[in-house]
Amino acid sequence: MKLRRLHNKMLGVAVLTIAALVIFQQPTLAASCCGGGSGTSLILPKFSKAMWDLSFDYETYDGFWDSRGNWVADPPGSDLNQYRLNLGYAHRLAPRWQASVSVPYVWNQNQYANLQRDTSDIGDTSVSVWYEAFDKIMCVWDVNSWEDLMPAVYWGAGLTLPTGTSPHDDVQDNFDITGRGAYRFDLSLLLDKTVYPWNATFSANYGRYLERSVNREYGTFVEPYDKQLGDRFNTSLSFGYTYFTDAMESLTTTLAYAYLREDQARIDGATDPTSGFRKESVALTVAWATADRDWVTKFTWSHAAKENGWGRNFPSTDIFTVGISHVLR
Amino acid sequence: MYYVKKLILIFSTLMLLGCGDMMDDLDPSGSDNRLPVVAGSTGNMPGQIVADFSLKDSLDSDFVLSDHLDGGASRADVVVLYFTMWCPVCLAHSDHMLNTIVPSFANRGDVVFALVDYVSGSVAATRAAERANGFANSAFITLSDVNLSVFDQLNGAMGSVVVVDSDGTVLMNEDYRNGVALSAVLDQQLP
Repeated sequence: MKLRRLHNKMLGVAVLTIAALVIFQQPTLAASCCGGGSGTSLILPKFSKAMWDLSFDYETYDGFWDSRGNWVADPPGSDLNQYRLNLGYAHRLAPRWQASVSVPYVWNQNQYANLQRDTSDIGDTSVSVWYEAFDKIMCVWDVNSWEDLMPAVYWGAGLTLPTGTSPHDDVQDNFDITGRGAYRFDLSLLLDKTVYPWNATFSANYGRYLERSVNREYGTFVEPYDKQLGDRFNTSLSFGYTYFTDAMESLTTTLAYAYLREDQARIDGATDPTSGFRKESVALTVAWATADRDWVTKFTWSHAAKENGWGRNFPSTDIFTVGISHVLR
Repeated sequence: MYYVKKLILIFSTLMLLGCGDMMDDLDPSGSDNRLPVVAGSTGNMPGQIVADFSLKDSLDSDFVLSDHLDGGASRADVVVLYFTMWCPVCLAHSDHMLNTIVPSFANRGDVVFALVDYVSGSVAATRAAERANGFANSAFITLSDVNLSVFDQLNGAMGSVVVVDSDGTVLMNEDYRNGVALSAVLDQQLP
């Protein structure tokens, strides 16, 4: 019985780690023409002390959705890519509390018919605090009572720091951009339920940017004004299946759907009707965890359908991510 | 504790590496740091006179700025140049200009509204992009800045708009934002 509980605990940690890695690969506003490169949140497995996460994103652009939601191709001869190296660390503060930080480094590679720009800089940094509204592993092998269906519930608060290069910095042009240029506060909810070998997670996040002063656009000083980016909402739903080897290593495959929306910005208090965007995407993740669940290696492919109606005012991209996480007990 | 210290060290290093630009956003300034310009001098800032230039439009015809200024064959009260790279932001701005700004001033003088394409690299590609984005046969003239000459001359950027008065004076050179500033300039300038 004790062995079974230990087994459950280990599996719970493994599955949740992988689920959290998948669910918090939030779609970034990545186009170098629009800013991007924000970090992602990390969730530390229950009962572990800390976790390192290192991942590398390759995001390739292929067209965009206009303000009516119609998909439009990029100009002929263009090849637009962004690469991000993300370094994350999560640390347990108390049995129910944890904190994390994620810092990306961003490379923009933009090729047009008569223009090529390769630039790089640090992206926007994310800092998060999470509260776990449960004390024991919520993963079960069998459902024998309604309590077995209770999910693990996490409440999160986050702060995005504008450490990236924004249009309001001393930049040459939009190709230099690696960040949004404004602080953002987020409130998050994560629900996670595992009935072996199946897993489901749901996340929702609401963020509000702080208003800021602007006195420079693309390196040129302008008459100062105040700007507030629109509120941001994103949610995702994922389902996963875990296969265990005889040596208790695990291979988890997860399918996720993500929805991202940002409302219209305000300039000197007036709405900017040309801003705001929406994006829907699906993602497939394959994650491999060692038997002791201390190391997780993952690969994710996030895809946005190049069809009308899957987005608005936003680039359509494919994101390929490889990463590794190390959990410290 | 060891890991916390390590993290702080890494984070501090990253902050220091990029602190030049980073501080502009971490502690944004609302000060007016615009440099004074000599009115009537040649340049791209408001108050300066823009040097003449010539570009091909998407139909392979010549567009010479001075033709649309005082004394030119096709004088306009104002020339509006919008720099586009056919991106979501550019398209949102262009649509807004076409559907809101252009109709608002349709009966107030002569205005040239031009999209300056600085990424397509050829007149044919500019024509294709203009069509793909729905601006063929619109109120816009689409100009092909193949060598980025006007982009550099006017210190252009994605989504920036330059307004030139009929005497060649730059009235505005900044991001389009929500179109309010452009509308105000046109309202003040047009009969």
